[in-house]
Amino acid sequence: MQVHSKGKNGIAAAMAAVLMLTAGIAVFAETESGESRTAAGKAESVRSAVDFDHELDSYVPEKDHYNFYFTYKTVHSWWDAVALGMEEAQRQFLDKGVTITYEYMAPDGASAEDQTRRLLSAQRRDYDVIGVDVADEGVISPVLDEMADSGTKVMTFSSSDAADGCKRIAYVGNTHNYQDGVDLTEALCKKLDYRGKVAILVGSEGAPCHEDRARGARDTIAGYDEMEIVASEYDMDSVDLAYDLTLEILKDHPDLDGIVCCNMSNPVGAARAITEKGSGAVIVGMDHDEEALRYLNDGVIYCLGVQDCYSIGFDTIQVAVKIADGNLPGALFPEKTDEITTVIYQKDAALMLELLYGEIL
Amino acid sequence: MKKKQITNKTILLTAIIGSLLVVGMVTAFSIWSSRQTIAATEEAVSTVSSFYLEAMADRRAKIVTNLINNEFSQMEKALSYIEDEGIESQEELRGTLGRIKELLSLNHFALVDEDDIVYTQYTTYTGRTRHAFLSEKQLDGPIVDTVSLYGSSKQLCLAIPAPDLFVMGKPFKACFVQIDIKDIVDLLAPDDQGATYFGIYSKNGGNLSGTELGPVISHHNLLDSIKGLLPEDVWKETCDRFAKGESGSVMFSSGKVKGMLCYDPVQGTDWELAVLIHESVILDQIRDISENNLTASRNQILCTLVTVLLLALVLLLELRAMARGRLEKEKETSRTFRHMAITDSLTGVRNKHAYSGNEAALNQLIQKKEIQKLAVVVCDINGLKCVNDTRGHAAGDQLIKDACALICESFAHGAVFRIGGDEFAVLLQGKGYDTMMDDIGALNRQIEANMKENAVVISIGWSVLEPEDQKLRDVFERADQMMYKRKKELKAMAESGGE
Repeated sequence: MQVHSKGKNGIAAAMAAVLMLTAGIAVFAETESGESRTAAGKAESVRSAVDFDHELDSYVPEKDHYNFYFTYKTVHSWWDAVALGMEEAQRQFLDKGVTITYEYMAPDGASAEDQTRRLLSAQRRDYDVIGVDVADEGVISPVLDEMADSGTKVMTFSSSDAADGCKRIAYVGNTHNYQDGVDLTEALCKKLDYRGKVAILVGSEGAPCHEDRARGARDTIAGYDEMEIVASEYDMDSVDLAYDLTLEILKDHPDLDGIVCCNMSNPVGAARAITEKGSGAVIVGMDHDEEALRYLNDGVIYCLGVQDCYSIGFDTIQVAVKIADGNLPGALFPEKTDEITTVIYQKDAALMLELLYGEIL
Repeated sequence: MKKKQITNKTILLTAIIGSLLVVGMVTAFSIWSSRQTIAATEEAVSTVSSFYLEAMADRRAKIVTNLINNEFSQMEKALSYIEDEGIESQEELRGTLGRIKELLSLNHFALVDEDDIVYTQYTTYTGRTRHAFLSEKQLDGPIVDTVSLYGSSKQLCLAIPAPDLFVMGKPFKACFVQIDIKDIVDLLAPDDQGATYFGIYSKNGGNLSGTELGPVISHHNLLDSIKGLLPEDVWKETCDRFAKGESGSVMFSSGKVKGMLCYDPVQGTDWELAVLIHESVILDQIRDISENNLTASRNQILCTLVTVLLLALVLLLELRAMARGRLEKEKETSRTFRHMAITDSLTGVRNKHAYSGNEAALNQLIQKKEIQKLAVVVCDINGLKCVNDTRGHAAGDQLIKDACALICESFAHGAVFRIGGDEFAVLLQGKGYDTMMDDIGALNRQIEANMKENAVVISIGWSVLEPEDQKLRDVFERADQMMYKRKKELKAMAESGGE
């Protein structure tokens, strides 16, 4: 059962089921058990891919001022979208007389070591809650356990949770990265009629979300005899690196049929290279980069799995306030607040560009 | 008489045709006048609206420019304020930024340090990807940038370098504000009941304000939207002007929709402010003016028509009354002439002419044997000549009147005619016939009495219609003969002095 940020998961799932039955739409948003829904093709599902219409729940904070520290993998526009959701929650708390101050920091490049330093530095200061988007679960999870053991209130957010069994209090974000990888790759396979050569651009090495999606992609392709993974590269969530890597892959495999892109940067880099080389490789990728959406609109990218960053940010602040007040997962908030991913296609690109960037095509 | 009737009809026709002509001329003049007014107004409004729109675009562009300049000025003050505060911690900085917001009305004011860390009143964040202007290592001057935020919001980012600013022991790079373009739109929104549209556009025609530039262009890319609505060369020139940040105006048409578009660059930005008015709005206003004129003309026509119709009606009634009066007068005259023709002017009884008419009618009845009871009494005044000769004609006339009165009184149910100077005839039918003998007897006794008193004396003779009579004259002659006999008797009686 999917856990939604607004605590209306049952109703939302039922509504989604009705939508699926009545409109035959494919939503795909993973549930905690790993079960996915198929994405809606019609405008309603595109509009609901990102929920900008949030209101705080009825929880009454115990204090009138909270101070948080959040750190994430790398400076990237994906987290800027998360920041906007955070700022909206902060504004709504302010309207209720509760001041939220926070730091929202990241290094220029994903680095587990840098993230560890930031976390430990923050632990020495007086924050109500420290939140982290885990850069490398193997490195960061033990750090979080130590922080938790020392009484620091720690949570994870955005797209990468810590390892199973980590003592962090809660997670808000994408809980279905593996399934996102499966669903994108399944769409690619179907488009290629279940045969051909595929490359995978993973993202940051060790980043749970990227690695999980890549794993989902590999497992899916492994299920089809006539499909082959010819390359799997780490682009480190960099457009330029993704571009260079795609050029190299195309050089080695000019007959490449498809590319699975596991983060927000690499679909853009891959699309630039594909366009430049005139390749017919089909690209499937993640997220809402404006340039990627334009490539989607132009048919260069086949589909994109758009995460609801705004809701991630909004719910992160809301859950952080509850954690700061000493609450634990339960009635007030779940251990994992899941945020949806919606796969969109060429026909949805214009509307998504308008919804996200106000760009009227 | 006939000539007179034709004349009246002619007058009536002339009046009606004249009225219709007047009404027609007034109508035609009013319509012509209205059309002339519309044409003149259209020409004038077209010219004026161009100036009006250009002025509107220019005014709004200046409002935005002033806003930007004001924000820059406030940001300079904010930097001075921060420098003077001696801030040593992030908490102090946040407090200072909060006071700046209150003091200088700078919403979303933020500082950026040399590592591109952004400091606001409530948050501190790494901002390199979020704020495009931070991609520059160093700012050389003020930055005006348009930012598209995730969530479709577009903002105007204004930044100035802060080369000398040190806070918390760190050098700072810049400060900036971000203004939601929707707030600028609210500032520019006109109060013209939707008569005009406006929008803020990028140099490539992209809609930055999210406002709808009328139903044709809507909220789409302006240059793309008008591409098919303008001649190719005009469209290219418009694109060039947009790209160069110049002002201009174009007329376009899409189906039945025609519009005028004016655009003006917003100084200090890469924006073009466009204002559009649809010709239909102008024409609606013209139409309102024209309809008012037309209504006035219609009222004028109606009043004229009603007045003419009333005049025509009055004229008609007067003509009718006049015709009736004339007819009545003619009838009266006719009756008078007719009466005069058959009436004796002295006595008032019917004359010889009337007797002849009656005689002719009775003759037909006699010949057809359709009448049995008919008698003629012939009366002759005695001594009339003597009275005329001795006492004058006035006395003679009086004698005639007295004699007539006596005859009329005696034969109340008979028709009395004066058929000669001193001779009367009485035609008796019906009751007059039945009482004839009594009446004659009474008259004769009265005459005989009059002879003694020297009053009027009349000799009378009478006769009734006999079966062998062919005409009234037969009866009359017998009565006339009897009258002469009676005259002799009375003469003899007078000469004898007794009976």
